[in-house]
Amino acid sequence: MPFTDIAVALQISFTYFTILYLTGLGGLFSERSGIVNIGLEGLMIIGTVTGAFGARFFTDTIDLGTPWGPILGLLFGALCGAIFASIHAVATITFRVDHIVSGVVINLVAVGLARFLSYAFFNGQATQSDPGGPHLARLDIPFLSSLPGGLDRAFQSLSPMVLVAAFMVVPVWYALNRLRWGLRLRSCGENPEATRSLGVSVPLYRYQGVLLSGAFAGLSGAFLAAEVIGNWREGQTLGLGFIALAALILSNWNPIRLMFFAWLFGFAVAIPLRLNDAPVISALPPQFIRMIPYIVTIVAIAGFVGRVRPPAAAGKAYEGGGGT
Amino acid sequence: MATEGLAPPVSAMRSRPAWLEGLVGQLLALLASLGIALLAGSLLIIAYGESPVAVYSSILQYSVESADGIGYVLAIATPLIFSALAVAVCFKGGMFNIGVEGQYLVAMVTAAWAEIELGFLPGPILVVVVLIAAMLGGMIWAAIPGILKVKTGAHEVVTTIMLNGIAVSLLAWAINFPLKFSNAPPGQNVDLRTDQFPEGGLIGDIGHYFGVTPGAHLSWLFFLAIGAAVLVWFLIRRTRLGYEARAVGSSPGSAKAGGVSIGSIQIRLFLISGALAGLVGMQQILADRGHLPQNYVVALGFTGIAVAFLGQNNPIGIVFAAILWGILSRGEVALQIESEVPREFIIILQGILILSVVITYQIAKRRLAARQLQRAGAAGELEDSAGSDEDAGPRGPEITGREAFERAGEGGV
Repeated sequence: MPFTDIAVALQISFTYFTILYLTGLGGLFSERSGIVNIGLEGLMIIGTVTGAFGARFFTDTIDLGTPWGPILGLLFGALCGAIFASIHAVATITFRVDHIVSGVVINLVAVGLARFLSYAFFNGQATQSDPGGPHLARLDIPFLSSLPGGLDRAFQSLSPMVLVAAFMVVPVWYALNRLRWGLRLRSCGENPEATRSLGVSVPLYRYQGVLLSGAFAGLSGAFLAAEVIGNWREGQTLGLGFIALAALILSNWNPIRLMFFAWLFGFAVAIPLRLNDAPVISALPPQFIRMIPYIVTIVAIAGFVGRVRPPAAAGKAYEGGGGT
Repeated sequence: MATEGLAPPVSAMRSRPAWLEGLVGQLLALLASLGIALLAGSLLIIAYGESPVAVYSSILQYSVESADGIGYVLAIATPLIFSALAVAVCFKGGMFNIGVEGQYLVAMVTAAWAEIELGFLPGPILVVVVLIAAMLGGMIWAAIPGILKVKTGAHEVVTTIMLNGIAVSLLAWAINFPLKFSNAPPGQNVDLRTDQFPEGGLIGDIGHYFGVTPGAHLSWLFFLAIGAAVLVWFLIRRTRLGYEARAVGSSPGSAKAGGVSIGSIQIRLFLISGALAGLVGMQQILADRGHLPQNYVVALGFTGIAVAFLGQNNPIGIVFAAILWGILSRGEVALQIESEVPREFIIILQGILILSVVITYQIAKRRLAARQLQRAGAAGELEDSAGSDEDAGPRGPEITGREAFERAGEGGV
């Protein structure tokens, strides 16, 4: 089997890693603060439509050109994701609606809102925008992109966002483990009563966690639409938000382990796209390979291998000082 | 991912006036959220430079003011009733089945399989067999989260989300390989799908008896859905299983102490939920398309959750909620013909409605709990601690109506 195919599959897996890792980090911030967020898919959907619009708007309409246009487009997707996530925040934190209920509603509403926005953004096109939107220049990773044996392909012409996502682990880990802000955020998810007794406003931190989850998932969606596909299409998230949730669960809500699972599941998504002819894999229908992330997660959550432990207070309504 | 907040309404254990109070509260909350949604919708319509009254009346005109309109509305409501009932059954037991989505996909596969493999059976028998196959498919897919929850403690929300993902691929595999169509017209590019089902295995249109266009695909599945709603109501209110399920849902600890086998209740609820979920897709493949297509209608399971909330998990409420949902959905056609407002407006309207329903019900529930706590305090020895704050303040729903009831009991009734 030629290495080229593996290399290309790896290259694709880096792209999916970026989507899954950014979305997963979004879920991480929210759930570490104590708010379960199964609305990641919906937040991503909002990111796709606003990101695709933003990239075009800032690049062509405002005429900023690249790279600033696409960058602002990505940030616009993140901003809109955060704004949309505020619905989840208000519902779960201020009104103490059940987190799962609110997450389901977020996913439902996102589909309709995306179509509505698309209609407004793209001259009445409700299910897709024109293809070939502006994106950031692709880059080759130094050294790795000159590996021999065809492996170089894996590290060539990647979106800069792949590197941004990969290096995101550093500030995220530092913020969660070394900054007072991160420690407080985490303690809101573990023991809100104790956190409150220290004079920390639990709702304030939870709001930040949920808004961050919207920003990250929105950024991820914007990346998918604007950078990977080049236009917005209805349903282009393909349940990646749920796979990100699976990776998050398996990672035990840890940003470093999340990198591994985001990449692993990204690779599982890439296999049917590129490695269909490889031995063993060719014997399996591609649909079965797409099931792998979900099956692995079920096996893990059922405790057959290892143990996953969510933040202790995640999903529980917290009564202290609500409404602020 | 714990979901303690999910405890279903505790009306069952309340005394009569409180039950009535709860119903009134729910109705007020529903009316309030309908008002909010229509008001927000009006603002949007005005932003498009049209008259809200005209737009809303055109929606009604296309949905309830003609036989055709009603036919379409009921046909849209049919799968939603099944799916919302499936959600509600689990909810009564304190569980959240967000896997209806996956369960109905698997059921469509098993139903299509039965149609194709058992197509030699005579018409009516074939339809019955196919419906049973669908229910079995849904039950199998629902049994997995049920068993995993009972045996390993895996939370059903996570497992059902994952099973939804698996079901999508399973259906794709089924129509790509074992059930792929064999009788495609040569030279034509046909969408990926199964073979057309035998004529006898389809569910015929009944709309034309009532002057409804056959295009609405109104079938007796609607009456089956109504029957299912009555059955679920009976099950929850009048059977031992229903009683124990409600006990498990509102207070697992007390139920266990009372000798209820929680695990067996939970698995049985999931099986019933799965059987109902299995019927969700039948309107689509048996009454409408006549085959299982690649571009099947998705999100019926998730929409069912919205409808279940709208109907407050009450089987009768669900029927009305599904019809309301259908009226709104039918409005898309009205907008296309009568208005410049994009049809996507309807989805926004439904979204605002369900968001405000979720929030207003929560507020109503808390107010009710606070009021009951107060009453309990007046009856017992809790006057000092209950406080007079209507809005529950920091105590809020942590103390549910049930606890208030129990405390009142301790207090000396």
